[in-house]
Order: sequence, then C-alpha cells, then structure tokens
Amino acid sequence: MSSGKFRQILGLVLLASLACANYSCTVAASNEEFFGSTTPPPRNIFRYVSGDEPESLDPAISNGQPEARLYMALFEGLVEYNPKTLEPEPALAERWHINNDSSEYTFHLRTTGRWSNGDPIDANDFVYTFRRNLSKATASRNAYLMAYIKYAQAYNQQQVFVRDPKTGEFLLARDLDAGFPPEPLSSSPIDPAKSEYQPDPKDTTPDQDSAFHQQMHTATRLTLPGDEKSRNKRLDANAKLKAAVAGKEFVPVKAEDIGVEAPDNYTVRISLVQPAPFFLGLLAHQVFRVVPRKTVEQFGTKWALAEHIVSCGPFKVKMWKPYDQLVLERDPMYWDAEHVGLDELYFYPVLDNSTVMNMYKVGELDAMYNHAVPNAWLHIMRSKKDYMERAEAAIDFLIINTTKPPLDNPKVRRAFNASIDKVAYAEWRRIVKPLTAFTPEGIFAGYEQPKGAAFNPAEARKLLGEAGYPVIQNSDGSFSCPTFPVDQVEFIYNSQQANKAVVEWMQAQWKQNLGITVGLRNMEWKTFLEAKEKLDFKGFARGSWGADYMDPFTFLSLFYTGGESGTGWQDPKYITMLDEANRTLDPKQRYHLLAKAEEYLIENQPIIPLDSPSVNWMKKPYVKGMYPNPGSLYPWKYLYIERDRAKWDYGTPSLDAE
Amino acid sequence: MLRFIVRRLLITIPTILVVISITWVLIKLAPGNFYSGEKPLPPAIEKNIREKYGLDKPWYQQYGKTMWGIIRLDFGTSLKYQGQSVNTIIKRSLPVSAAVGILAYLLALVVGVTAGSIAALKQNTKWDYGSMALAMLGISIPNFVLGPILVLIFSLTLYWLPPSRWEGFPSWNLVLPVLTLSAIYMAYIARLTRAGMLEVLRSDYIRTARAKGLSERDVVIRHALRGGLMPVISYTGPALAFLLTGTVVVERIFALPGLGNYFIQASLNRDEPLIIGIVAFIAIVLLLMNLLVDIAYAYLDPRVRY
Repeated sequence: MSSGKFRQILGLVLLASLACANYSCTVAASNEEFFGSTTPPPRNIFRYVSGDEPESLDPAISNGQPEARLYMALFEGLVEYNPKTLEPEPALAERWHINNDSSEYTFHLRTTGRWSNGDPIDANDFVYTFRRNLSKATASRNAYLMAYIKYAQAYNQQQVFVRDPKTGEFLLARDLDAGFPPEPLSSSPIDPAKSEYQPDPKDTTPDQDSAFHQQMHTATRLTLPGDEKSRNKRLDANAKLKAAVAGKEFVPVKAEDIGVEAPDNYTVRISLVQPAPFFLGLLAHQVFRVVPRKTVEQFGTKWALAEHIVSCGPFKVKMWKPYDQLVLERDPMYWDAEHVGLDELYFYPVLDNSTVMNMYKVGELDAMYNHAVPNAWLHIMRSKKDYMERAEAAIDFLIINTTKPPLDNPKVRRAFNASIDKVAYAEWRRIVKPLTAFTPEGIFAGYEQPKGAAFNPAEARKLLGEAGYPVIQNSDGSFSCPTFPVDQVEFIYNSQQANKAVVEWMQAQWKQNLGITVGLRNMEWKTFLEAKEKLDFKGFARGSWGADYMDPFTFLSLFYTGGESGTGWQDPKYITMLDEANRTLDPKQRYHLLAKAEEYLIENQPIIPLDSPSVNWMKKPYVKGMYPNPGSLYPWKYLYIERDRAKWDYGTPSLDAE
Repeated sequence: MLRFIVRRLLITIPTILVVISITWVLIKLAPGNFYSGEKPLPPAIEKNIREKYGLDKPWYQQYGKTMWGIIRLDFGTSLKYQGQSVNTIIKRSLPVSAAVGILAYLLALVVGVTAGSIAALKQNTKWDYGSMALAMLGISIPNFVLGPILVLIFSLTLYWLPPSRWEGFPSWNLVLPVLTLSAIYMAYIARLTRAGMLEVLRSDYIRTARAKGLSERDVVIRHALRGGLMPVISYTGPALAFLLTGTVVVERIFALPGLGNYFIQASLNRDEPLIIGIVAFIAIVLLLMNLLVDIAYAYLDPRVRY
C-alpha cells in the first residue's frame, strides 16, 4: 500500500503545483459574472466573516470594528445608522428635539421597546447605561466619546467639585478657569419668555421640566482632580485658584451628577457641556447602546457571555462558540421584529484573508468584512458583479514626532510632505485616492475640504534649504543633502507585508527628491503602538483613522488633546478654532470654520496625509439591503435573501436614497 | 519503577514554575498592552483600565497573584476576552486541537511506519528511494504551502471538501487539516523507522532469530519492528504534546478554534493570564508525555531498566 499511496500523493502534489501555476490565468480568463457559487442558502440566514474574534458582547467594552458590527445586531441605542448614509435614524427613540445651540437633546422613546427577556425598555435604562459606561468600574475605552455630556468626564476621571461649607455654593469654572468658553444654553438659566427649542409643529406636547433640569441650567461647576497629588500640582500652578479653593471642601462628582436624566419613563434628556451639533450622529456609536441593568448587576463582567446575555437589538444570541462561530437569531421581542428580514446571522471569526476568499467562493459565506479582498486579487475581483468598492470614511497618513529635531521645524515637515508624489502613490496602491488634507474626500456633503500642498520637489528642496539643510544636485542629476542629520530620523511601521511596500515607496520618494535616505524599522503591532503612544520614535510612523461618526470633527478631534495623535503637536489656536466652529449654529458656517481649522492643521503639518482608502469587499448578489457605506457598518435588520434572480444586485448597489 | 515515576513528577513541578516565571517576565518586558489600539487612549481612561485589572499594583503583588493561581490550577480570567476564564478557554479549545492532532499523528504513524519498514527491508531498491524521496518532500514542503494547495484542489476546484472551519467531530472538515498536519510527521516517522530498522536488522539478535528458523514475518514484526521503533517512540512524546496543544499555522489556515490559534492571538493581544495559562498547560502536557515515553521505553526495550 505504502508506495502506491506515496505515488498518489506525489501525483497530487505535482498536479497541485501545476494547478497553482495556472490558477490566476484561469480565473482571470473566466467570464463568470460573480466570484464562485451564487446559490442562496436554503433558509433565511446570512453568513459573514466579521474579522477578529469579538472581545466581548458588552457594547461598553470594545472599540473595534468587528465588535461594532456585532453590537449593531444585539443592541440598539436612541438612534441607529442609516444603512446607506450612516446618518442617525430613529431607533429606540422615535423622535427628539435639539435645543437652539445643540447643547441639550431631548429624546422621546417608543413605548414598544423590549429586552430579549420581554421586560420593557424605558428611559431609566438609558440613564443607567450612560452612568455605567462612564464609571471607573466599567473602565470603558470608549468613555472619551461621552465626554461632551456635562460632568461626564469629571465623573469618569473621579474628579471633585469645590464647595463652600458655609454657603453650600459650588465654585464655578468660568470664574476661575481663564480659558473657559462662554456657557452654552444648557448651562444658562432658563428664560421662561422664550423657548430654548424651535417650535415643532408635529409635536405639541411640551417636554417636562424637572429639578434636575433646573440644576443643569446653572453655570458649570469647577472640577478638580480627585487625587490629592495631581490636585495640588494644579493648585500650585495657579495662585488665584489656590486662594479660591482655600477653606473649601471637595465633593466627589457622582454618577447622579452627569447630565443625563429621565424626566418621565419615556423621555431621556441629555445636557452637554458644550454645543455639539455632531452629537446626534455620535449617539449611534456602540458606547451609547442601552444595556440591561438587572443582568449586568447580577452577573458582573460575565453578563455578556452567551449563557447570561440579555439584548435589545433585532437579533439575540442563539449560540456562541468563541473563535468558531457566533449565531444570532431573530428576536421576537424586538419592537420592529416584523421588518427584520433574516432568521439567523452567522458570524465567523476568520483572520486569514485567503481563507475568507475561499469560503466565499465555495458559498460558505454570503459576504465578507471590509478590506478582506487581497490587493493582488483586485484586478480579477473588479470585473465581478458581487465586488463592492466605494469611498470610505477613513484616512491614511504619516505621523511625525514633532518634538524632536530636525522635524520640530515645520519647514522640514513641509519639505517631506511636498516631496511625496501622492497621485503616483495612489495609482500604485490601486485601491486608494490621493489625499492632501486630514479628512477623507467626498464623504461629508457640503464640507469644503481644504487643499494641502501639492507634490512639488523643487519647493521641497527650497524649504529644506531654508531650514538649514541645503540640497545639492550631483553631477549625475541625483540629489543629496549632506548636512541633514539622517541618524535623527527613521520611519517605523508595524510588520505586515503591505506596510513594508508602502514605507519603502516613501523612502524611495525622499531619496529621489531630497537625497535623504530615511532608515526603516519594522515593529510588532503592539510594540509599534507603544512607541507611537509614548512618542518613543524619531521621525515618522504609519497612521490611519476611521470615522467614529459622520462629521469631519471625528478626524479633526484627533489633535484636540495632545497625547492622542502620536505627534506631540498641540496648538491652543487650533483648539480655539475647533471650539468656535462647534459653537456655531449654522451648519454651513460651522463646516466652513472646521475647514479653516483643518487648513491650519495641515499648514502646521504634524502629519503627512497620504490617501483616503476605499471600502472593498464582496457580497453575494442575493444579499439585499446591505450597502457599501463609508463606515462599513450595517444595520442588520434591513438585510434579506432575495431568491428571485431578476431582483438581485448586479454590481454595487446605489447609496442614493430611494 | 514507581520511585522513578514519583521522582520525575516531583521534578516536573519546579520545572513548570520556572517556565511560568520566565514567561511572566517576558510578558512584562514586552511593550504594549492588551487595550492599546490604533488611537491612543486618553491617560485618564488608561488609568481606569489599569486599576480595574490590577495592572497598577507593584510587580511582586502581580507575580504573587499569578503564581498563587497557578498553584491552585486556576489560571484566572482573560484580559482581552472579558469574563471568559482561561480554564474554560483551554477546556473548549483543547478537544479541537487534540482531535486534529491525534488523527494526524495516527495517520502519520500508520503511513510512516509502513513506508519506513518497507524502505528498510528493501534497502537500495526503487521502493526505498521512492519512499525516502517522498519523505524528503514531506519534510521540505511547509504546511502553509501544502494546506492552501490541498484547499485549491479539493475545495476550490473539485468542490469535494469544505475549505475551512470546525464542524465538530467527525466531519468532512477534518480531512484537509489532518492531511496537511500529518505530512511532515509522516515523513519524519518514515525516516526514523527506516533508520531504526536498518540498525536493528543488522544486529545479532535478528541474526539469531533468523538462525533459529523463524519466518521472515515473525522476524520483522515481532523482533525487528519492536527495536526499530524505539526512535519513533521517543519522537512521539514531544510530537504528540505539540500536536495536542495545537499547531498555529494549520489552525489559522483552516480557521479552527484550537489552542494554537488562541496561543498566538493571546501573545499578539498581550493577554497575560491566557498566555500564562496556555504555556503552563503546554509545559505540563509536554513533561507528562516525556514521562510516558520513558515508561513506554521500559516496557518495549528489555535493555532499559529504571
């Protein structure tokens, strides 16, 4: 048996290598409309690869995209993303009012909201969820997105109010904080003569007032760090503050102080610390999705395991085998259950892109996550009618450590920017569009995105010369820059084949146009993140960012606080510009001011914009109601399996409203 | 014999503690955290997380807590996968790795020993050269090449077998991963068997057996094979330990929820309790397997006595 068997195996191996060699040609030459099987599943189910294994089914925990998609099936918030535009749509809240400066939001819940165990969902569940997700015990990574709510950040950071023990009055931020912006309407006394809200002809029932609401409408209190050491440091730095605090008592900010209340069982009122017109869109984010108080309190960190979880979305957990599959089924308790198109959703955590493509081809998957199509397969897949490609709300850029010379000089940074031919770069990458600014192109309608400096090697050399590093042209036409401290600059990136090619491309551009050879250093992912976070690198690092919500501010806010951008660049002027924009009520004017801030940002060049990528993934033609939207987030209830071939999607479905 | 086993078991305990301590130090030295992501967290939020998971405590308290857990065989709760205990994760993923690993090893044993014996018995014939050439091929083709080739033929071209995923035991999904995994072991075992057999076939006691007039069948199966398999046995211990505890590449290619997959992800995620738990588990299995091999030696080889 043995030799015969071995001979067979040998035959197979030879056959395989031949097949391998021919494979790409055969696929390319075939005229199949779609990639692989197009037989719909026998039942109304949808099988999907969501990316990595989910960390947790608790929407407060993870900040990843694979999880964000799962949370959309299991949990709902006040609003939900539109499947095409990702703009907020009514979900558990059926209607809402926003006050005149977008600093207070009042939501009216539908009375038909139910948990998967049948209990009703009311406003108190939302108040609980907001408080819980901000608490220190939950330690949510997403808590920063809730910081626009009044006192939310202070509570999350365990800060204290300062109270006069004699009068019981609190010190106010505006009196002691020099840079404190004007109070928004939500913190100003209520004027009975004029309404804070625009009248709504469709809705005549007035929103209820409450003692808490009155309380919110007072000037913002001063908050100081809770631990004595950092508090004293802050007080020592500010003599006026120190004098004002003397003899006063410190009162910890409690969960009940956060600007969220339930004036009645089906109304949620949110008071913000600043005007935030983008806040409604932000509310669809996972961290604002409501969680079941009873279950969370009963099971603690284990509440979101399959055996305990109680959910409120269109689907509920049927079975969860980690690293294998997560099966969700239609939840009959869901308020809109009759419009849910699928009976079951299967999520497979698969990490290997070619495995994903294989499963898709043989028909074990009905769609795959964004960017699962390997770059090398693009030319084949682009001819298929089940391939999806559209603009993505994301950007790729180079992070510059602006704290170390020579890149602390904006001229040097600008020189490095102007010496990269981004148009050629985008052509080479095939799946991206060149980018000169810090927001993705064509995503935010009506936003006049500023144009950054174009590719101009001569200008780049001039800038470098002005910065004290003259570029010399050699006799053979190449350039060199002998005075530039090459050993002070390097380019770090996380080890991944695709990244390596990208950084080598940049390296070649700088070599060619400036005569500077920047050293490359690859790092394991977490090591890379740490180096970036601690500014423990000299020169450049690869960076990318995807939108948390559909507003340019989600990108521009990366530089709102210093540590988070990885560049060390922080400019009070830029922050003032953003604040001013967000205080502007007219949306058009606000966009205009945001664009001005973006222009200021790219002038200072703490980053080098590279490209805005495209979403690229595939779905079988019989999957309907799923759209290649810019955030790759899909409200699952709209999906259904179409068995009539005439109604299939042939090509990318349109994102225009029907 | 009993004394030998007890002594070996006693040595096992400090060995495992040393292995775990080294792992613990390596994790602490590695940059990055389980919670770090593309966008750095604001310091205040990072502080909340570190306090929640006790990462702000002095190192000796953290080390003590880990060690105390190991001694009670409680590996704690995963940092990354909230609420999931490491013991549950091991219990859940071990059967997957074990099923694939044991099947692959059995297949490798049957094919490898047969091929190796025939090669030895028919030394320097086309049978010998043929099977050894194949064995060389098996050793040289890495499983990340073999796996995709098998998928290409049997799943994507012929549509006979599923390309990946775990569907329980037994199922057709097992065929390709088992084949992929066993190839290299098959090849090793064939070569080890051949070498062992060749040595034994030339030894005096085989000559004696033949001189006594035993049939060739008896000589080969009862006498030669028993001695010739000794190298295979000593190879079985560590091989089986690694097969049982998962093989990263095959589990990744075929998207199997096995221990190997968890191990690599845990390291990339800096999931300290999970890494420590899996390392401890692999160490225990490895040491036990080696002990079993030594015991098996005593039974199989009359020359070995403890």
